[in-house]
Amino acid sequence: MYVILVYDCGEKRVNKMRKLCRRYLHWIQNSVFEGEISEVKLKELLLEADQFIDKAYDSIIVFKSREQKWLDKQIVGQEKNDLDNFI
Amino acid sequence: MPKTYYLFNPGRLSKNNRSLKFTPVDAEGNAKKPTYLPINDINELCVLGSLDANSALYNFLGQQKIPVHFFDYYEHYTGSFMPKDYLLAGKVHIAQTQAYTQPAQRLVIARKLLEGGIYNMLKNLGYYQNRGKEVTVYGSKIKQYYETIRQAQEMPIAELMGLEGNVRQVYYQAFDTIINDFAMQGRSRQPPLNEVNALISFGNSFCYNLCVGQIYHTQLDPTISFLHEPGARRYSLALDIAEVFKPVLVDRLIFALLNKKQIQAKHFDKKLNACYLNESGGKIYLKAWDERLKETIKHRAMNKNVSYRRLVRMECYKLVKHVLGIDEYSPFKMRW
Repeated sequence: MYVILVYDCGEKRVNKMRKLCRRYLHWIQNSVFEGEISEVKLKELLLEADQFIDKAYDSIIVFKSREQKWLDKQIVGQEKNDLDNFI
Repeated sequence: MPKTYYLFNPGRLSKNNRSLKFTPVDAEGNAKKPTYLPINDINELCVLGSLDANSALYNFLGQQKIPVHFFDYYEHYTGSFMPKDYLLAGKVHIAQTQAYTQPAQRLVIARKLLEGGIYNMLKNLGYYQNRGKEVTVYGSKIKQYYETIRQAQEMPIAELMGLEGNVRQVYYQAFDTIINDFAMQGRSRQPPLNEVNALISFGNSFCYNLCVGQIYHTQLDPTISFLHEPGARRYSLALDIAEVFKPVLVDRLIFALLNKKQIQAKHFDKKLNACYLNESGGKIYLKAWDERLKETIKHRAMNKNVSYRRLVRMECYKLVKHVLGIDEYSPFKMRW
């Protein structure tokens, strides 16, 4: 499964959220991550996020796509990070 | 599916917030903008540039069961960092050892492995025969050897390996017909003398390390092999399994890359009496290799799509079943 995850958290929790997401997905720009992830790993991620987010204030949105090739990605301006496994 | 990451740039890899951070370094030694690698998306790491790391990182990679494979300046495989074995199974270990120590049993497996390899080579030749390359002469020669091997009930392993050598010699002769612009002129290694040989050496070492990585995820002991003599200082079982997959994965890829002119003369460095892929060549090859391993085929018995990488793992499972006497081993045979 290929996902795009965006979050909007209170200032105190933003760093925590970023660090958590970095363990599973690729950072593409501020509070946006994308990458290949399995159902279970995504559940794991959300469960961990559940521990510290404030549901009354914060939000996490996950866009799911069956595969990367079904996702048409257009970049205008700067690409902040390319997600290559050749580094 | 977690991916293999290839590190070409020199730099420092470190543990950072329970994930990985890679800081590339330029020629002057200045750190550039770091990239973060999601730890949960990593299957293994292949290091081709020079890498700085500390034991905290290796402890962490060990915990996460991520092997790291190292390649030297000439892109030869030099070794791996392997996390502690996690699938220990005494029963399998004993069965595997027994299968090795009893010559009759060992021969059965060795013959099957070789049979698989040769069958796949023949498929390669057949494929190019259909595309108008005149390789029947080599094909029929190999078929003779193939039959001898199939029928050999009692044959010392050394003799079997001898036959394998003969087959390879004929097979490599066919390369000159299949490949358009480059000449191979026989196999040469340590060092490879021309472009085709450089590609074969490069490809084979990645095939070997693919097998090492996959065997690690099974209960098999990588040092006890059947076709190759279990030697010291190498995972000879990986050589056995690579035998089956080299024609499928490496050779096909080389033919395609050269004939489609994706890899050209400018992608090689010729120094003294040696020929090696240069960095851009290596990158092109590895990109294609990575794509190839992700490709899936329909597995008939399972009625499921299986990637080539997974196929190698399944080959190991078949061996486990064979030594435990659950199911007889039959090597992977390409159907196309």
